[in-house]
Amino acid sequence: MPTDNRSIFVIVPGYNEAAVIRQTIEALLEKSYSVIVVDDASTDSTRKILSGLPVSYIRHLANLGQGAAIQTGMQLALKKNAEYLVTFDADGQHDVNDIEKMIKLLQQEKADVIFGSRFLPGAASNLHTSRKLVLKAARLINYLASGILLSDANNGLRVMTREAALKMRITENRSSHNAQMQNFVKYNKLKYVECPVNISYSDYSRKKGLRNINSIRILYDLILYKIFR
Amino acid sequence: MIPIQIVLISAVVFIAFYMYLRLRSSLLDAILIFLFCAVAVFFILFPETTTEIAQWLGVKRGINLVFYCITLFFFFLILKLYSRMRRLEDKFTEMIRENSLNKAEDLSDAKNEKTQA
Repeated sequence: MPTDNRSIFVIVPGYNEAAVIRQTIEALLEKSYSVIVVDDASTDSTRKILSGLPVSYIRHLANLGQGAAIQTGMQLALKKNAEYLVTFDADGQHDVNDIEKMIKLLQQEKADVIFGSRFLPGAASNLHTSRKLVLKAARLINYLASGILLSDANNGLRVMTREAALKMRITENRSSHNAQMQNFVKYNKLKYVECPVNISYSDYSRKKGLRNINSIRILYDLILYKIFR
Repeated sequence: MIPIQIVLISAVVFIAFYMYLRLRSSLLDAILIFLFCAVAVFFILFPETTTEIAQWLGVKRGINLVFYCITLFFFFLILKLYSRMRRLEDKFTEMIRENSLNKAEDLSDAKNEKTQA
């Protein structure tokens, strides 16, 4: 792969993830990616735990939400001349090795954006059945809202080219940023591909907010987004 | 005049006066407030006129018509307030973002520093 890994910027939005974030970041640094941590006003010791690591650290003064954190991270990455931008959850559920795979596929397919998917053949994940059902329903609702049908609409792992990132501007601060990103893809006629990715749900990440009840919150955000954008 | 009319009219006048003072608004706003106030006072003094209007519109009782109008008005108000809230949130986000981007740091040399919580 001709791309220098340092021009691949991995944006890690995090809110109170001090317990696991260092592990996540160290795995990314091992692959010598450039890492941008966006601390969404955590009240834990996130910054302290990361000190000493060669990462760019940005801290929001107030908690804005994951969408806002990603947007902030993207702006910094673009400023630092990122060639590829990756979004990566802080809680350690994604597999670092998937990034390389995704970028390869992105180049092969000459695509602008590539979405990680838990449901394509080849993806390994230890999901509960109830959660699977909820995610399938989310997929349909997301299709109605964003206009593109993904097999996994709310996956935090995505890769996009610099050009694609320049066309996006996330204003949905909270969970509906997923749908908004897909909207940008649709309206700018960007070429997108999906790629199977590995997800491992630990007890930690389950506890952190992957409860099914959260999908109601996501749905609510989505409806507001459609009405008020 | 029955007691409830006195209560309602003084409330309306008080609210109108208060709004005018608080908003220190333009002449147009003042006229609008005055008009609303006048209409409200009129209906309080002659409540049976609402029934006439209601029946003309096909609604049985005046109070029902008033209720429908208020529901619509509040719904409109909520939408209006919500979109204003979204605009404010956008501004707030922009400010926080700009601030955080200006203060972006590299943590590799943050090792021995006494870090904030």
